[in-house]
Amino acid sequence: MTAILLQLVISGLLLGGIYALVSVGLTLIFGVSRIKNFAHGDLVMVGMYVTYALTVATGLDPYLLAPVVVLLLFGFGLFLSFALIRPIQGAPQVAQIFATVGLGLVLQNLALMMYGADFRSTPSIISGKVLRFAGVALPASLLIAFVVAMVVIAGLTIFLRLSLTGKAMRAIAQDRRAASLMSIDVKRIDMLTFGLGTACAGLAGALLAPVFPAFPTVGVNLVLICFVVVILGGLGSVEGALIGGLLIGLVETLSGFFLGSAMSQIAYFLVFIAVLCLRPAGLFGQRGAETLGS
Amino acid sequence: MGRTVDRFAALSLLLLVLPLFAPLFISDSYTLHFIWKILFWAALASAWNLAGGYAGQFSLGHAAFFGIGAYTSVLLYLKLGISPWIGMLVGGALAAGFALLIGALTLRLRGAFFALATIAFAEVLRIAVVNMRDLTGGAEGLSIPFAPGLGNMMFSGRAGSVVLVAALLLAIAVVTLIVERSRLGYALAALKEDEEAAEALGVDTIRVKLISIALSAFVSALGGTAYAFYILLIEPSTVLSIGMSVEMALMAIIGGMGTVLGPAIGALLIVPLSEYLRAEFAGSFQGLYLLVYGAILILMVMFMPNGLMSVVRDPRGTLRRLTLRRRTERGRKGDA
Repeated sequence: MTAILLQLVISGLLLGGIYALVSVGLTLIFGVSRIKNFAHGDLVMVGMYVTYALTVATGLDPYLLAPVVVLLLFGFGLFLSFALIRPIQGAPQVAQIFATVGLGLVLQNLALMMYGADFRSTPSIISGKVLRFAGVALPASLLIAFVVAMVVIAGLTIFLRLSLTGKAMRAIAQDRRAASLMSIDVKRIDMLTFGLGTACAGLAGALLAPVFPAFPTVGVNLVLICFVVVILGGLGSVEGALIGGLLIGLVETLSGFFLGSAMSQIAYFLVFIAVLCLRPAGLFGQRGAETLGS
Repeated sequence: MGRTVDRFAALSLLLLVLPLFAPLFISDSYTLHFIWKILFWAALASAWNLAGGYAGQFSLGHAAFFGIGAYTSVLLYLKLGISPWIGMLVGGALAAGFALLIGALTLRLRGAFFALATIAFAEVLRIAVVNMRDLTGGAEGLSIPFAPGLGNMMFSGRAGSVVLVAALLLAIAVVTLIVERSRLGYALAALKEDEEAAEALGVDTIRVKLISIALSAFVSALGGTAYAFYILLIEPSTVLSIGMSVEMALMAIIGGMGTVLGPAIGALLIVPLSEYLRAEFAGSFQGLYLLVYGAILILMVMFMPNGLMSVVRDPRGTLRRLTLRRRTERGRKGDA
């Protein structure tokens, strides 16, 4: 029993690492720009399809192509920020919600038109390889995704604490007006943040592509999980996204084992609803943050 | 001022009475189906509008209310032989109850957070329905054997169903007009404008929000019953999908939230467009119509957040705002 439990916990943490990586982009964008990006999961989907397309076109391993995917998605994020996000900054609530909902519809159906509704899996030499350590099975692709996620999150944390741009981001997150009075170029930082968040989504997509097949609506479930993670961890908090991601990963695998797969799907929505209703600022966030965003 | 508003209301109602008589002049089955679709989406968008448009509660989980209406009436009919006319009221009451539960639990949430919470509730319901296979038929859903008869809400031609959704649309419009002109309507207007200020002025914002979402859920559920007994098949992947919720909201937003006619105008524009795109590009580009929906939604909320109704009501003002905005943007760029 302890062996099974250990395996479940490890699997949950591995899964949670991926959730954390996807969520960190969302929480960054929310924290700095107060944008609730409903299309964030669809950006991960774009990352998966770009990885798939590049792998098919070049014949290289998806892991080697990940940096290219990240750069492409960073550029795409900058473009989106300029064309879509900047105009809705400070716009009525309805614009802030439905502009990114519309973006999600566009991206999903673009993928549907280009690749159809079939599942597309991206092959890698590592797919299917499993490491065994003290009786615990560790799928190599999940392990790589987890390690990369941890490195990226650690890197982001250091970047936010030590670099001037990172400090500017935190300043805007605290008080946008005051930051702009301190001659921080708020628009430039907003754009950079969105690019960075999209790049995180792209990296997550590249790491997910060899693990899960891509299909046009794969992002819909993912974005809901991300919001669960982000709200659980406290909006705008990178460390919170990490802890939230790991927690949700654990909830999913443990409830899946003990309650069945149907209940595990329901479980994280129930956790989500409970957190939203009881402590909308998240477990580690500041109280009142949820009204900041509205 | 009051008189022009009332003239506008009378005109709106007159326009919405017309579809009731459509089957008198049209007998072509395909055309009637097309009209049914427009009226159906107009009714659903109007239902969403009661909560989303008037109270600013941007729900993305209205499929739950719609689905409760569809499943309740179908189950009562299939298992107990109860007429859908009664089933639809039971479904409406259940949906309103569910809405009150959601509303009570999410009182503190605003904007995007409320939207997220409603998605979560709708997803819980969808997953539950998929997994309660014995009762709900699971992912395959439930099909209704065709047995025409007024008591069964099934009609041998399409005319009966068209009249039914036309009546539903009209009823929702009447409810909307009554709400708009009542004390509740003024409270809602205040709430939408500024929640804190409304509270300070003595508006019971909690009560007002709960009433509007319960009303909206009730009429959405009626739409669910009308859908089920016309299409004769309900599946969780359509009836309870996020896509369903998004489309309801989208039509209302494009047409104009917080107005009686707006959602109907949205449906009148979007449904023919989607039918055209689907017929023209069927097979080759299966997602094209939804892609266009998304693009229109983005452009509308960016440039005309009050929807097409703002053009109808104040054409010159809208034009002025659009050009003014472009000019100030250019000016800002000049400064930098």
